[in-house]
Amino acid sequence: MRLEIKNVSKRFKQKNAVSEFSMELETGQCVGLIGPNGAGKSTLIKIIADVFRADEGEVLLDGQRISNMKREIGYLPQYPNFFPWMTAKETLLFMGQLSGISKQKLLEKVPVVLEKVGLTGEGNVKVQTFSGGMRQRLGIAQAILHTPAFIVMDEPVSALDPIGRREVLNLIREIKKETTILLSTHILSDAEEICERFVIMKNGKKIKDTTITELLNRNTRGPVSLEIAPKDLQWIQSARELSFVKKIEVKGSKVEFTLEYPQKQKNMLLKNALNCDVDILRFEEDGRKTLEDIFLKLVVEE
Amino acid sequence: MNSLLVLINKELVQMKRDYKIIWLPLVFIFLGATQPVVMYYLPAIIKAIGGGQGITIDSSMVQQEGGQIMAATLGSQFDQLGMMIIIVSVMGVIQTDKESGMLAFILTRPVSVAAYIWGKVISNYIIIILSVSCGFIVAFLYARYLFSSVQLTSVLASLFIYFVWVLFMVTFTSMISTIFNSQGIIALISIVFLLLNRMLVGVHPVLDMLNPAGMSNHAMELLSTGSAVNSLYGNLLITMLWVLVTLGISYYWITQKKFH
Repeated sequence: MRLEIKNVSKRFKQKNAVSEFSMELETGQCVGLIGPNGAGKSTLIKIIADVFRADEGEVLLDGQRISNMKREIGYLPQYPNFFPWMTAKETLLFMGQLSGISKQKLLEKVPVVLEKVGLTGEGNVKVQTFSGGMRQRLGIAQAILHTPAFIVMDEPVSALDPIGRREVLNLIREIKKETTILLSTHILSDAEEICERFVIMKNGKKIKDTTITELLNRNTRGPVSLEIAPKDLQWIQSARELSFVKKIEVKGSKVEFTLEYPQKQKNMLLKNALNCDVDILRFEEDGRKTLEDIFLKLVVEE
Repeated sequence: MNSLLVLINKELVQMKRDYKIIWLPLVFIFLGATQPVVMYYLPAIIKAIGGGQGITIDSSMVQQEGGQIMAATLGSQFDQLGMMIIIVSVMGVIQTDKESGMLAFILTRPVSVAAYIWGKVISNYIIIILSVSCGFIVAFLYARYLFSSVQLTSVLASLFIYFVWVLFMVTFTSMISTIFNSQGIIALISIVFLLLNRMLVGVHPVLDMLNPAGMSNHAMELLSTGSAVNSLYGNLLITMLWVLVTLGISYYWITQKKFH
């Protein structure tokens, strides 16, 4: 399976929701599409799921237009809506049959899928009475029912309470073993938890495409930070003169030093501070940058 | 083809759960009984409220035939209150799916737009023509019992002719339901347009030929005179074309994803 998104653009009356977005996805990946509200994540997902038609560009699955490959796609909308008068079982039977699976096969499969999403006891309950979390799980059930090669999920956990969120995240981690997943979210820690690759969007454009290993490698050495007593803040001026200090950022009483070679130079910095008799409250080397730092840097600062 | 059957089946189950499968035939049975019964008791009713003393010569009080009673059932009951009930029962078919997002959701499955529209139209058409038939049979039985018998062949023939007009009502209302988003607007447009069609019958022969409501008039003609007018076939053909046009517009609207 290989999903290609080629130069996709979508315009609504007032604004460009998605502009010239391209990316590729290989089998077995779990990609998190992240971006602030209004970045065009949902629009892009809807284009991939063939709910919207792109104004320009195309989405190909294994070289075929997505509209001819619906059998291979599982789609979980942001607010999955079902026919309230149907029971969970009927909903899955209905959606499954629309995907071209025979009724006999579905009768075997539906209980298995219901168990997987933790709705075993609710099979004969009408969807009308379902809570948000249950609906979301039923939504996942219908998305995995026809064992698609590729699943797109629009904000699968954003609307859930912490317990529901945890359940759904665990569920997605389960599904991840079997299929390729693209999910959008604005909760970064969720994406960090289940995805290996992140695509950051802003104003309809792709601004960053990175993997978790890349993030780990590039940022193993963060800045060194010193927390010092307010009376010694003037020391910062003299520290600026030090040749190995690239950048200094003051955040309250915390001072962040960006060093050229943190491993060697952090002790030199510390020595200098001690020589100047600075009252050090805390000294630490920041670990890797979290996705949130990168996200904020890219989205807010730029 | 398979998904068409699944969609029709889903609609029929929904109608069962909504009790539409009960109330719609009941309404038409009631409408079908109204005309013959009221006409039969009209003299008694007039006497009771009007107290017509002395001798009255009323030219409208001629002895009515069963066929005329049935024709009046179509013209004054089915084409008025009946039409509005058909519109009300069909106006939400696609609009509710658009609003809840189910239309977009269903179309993420390998389902063709044609199957979706046909599923809606066929299922609703089935329940409506069943209801109309029930009402028509009741009207036939009452007319036969209270007035005079009508030839069964012309009853059946007129029923089938009337079904074509019903088909147009269903596809037209579905089309409006596809295009517009508010149930009130959908009901208003459909009722005004279809009633206007019905009222324009008989204004001009050319207009009659183009008017789908002409089918209703042909059915009435057949019932009251026992024979069909020649223009029936032309009108039938053109009405079928209108049906295809309305279906085509719905199809276009959904495939172009204009419904969002």
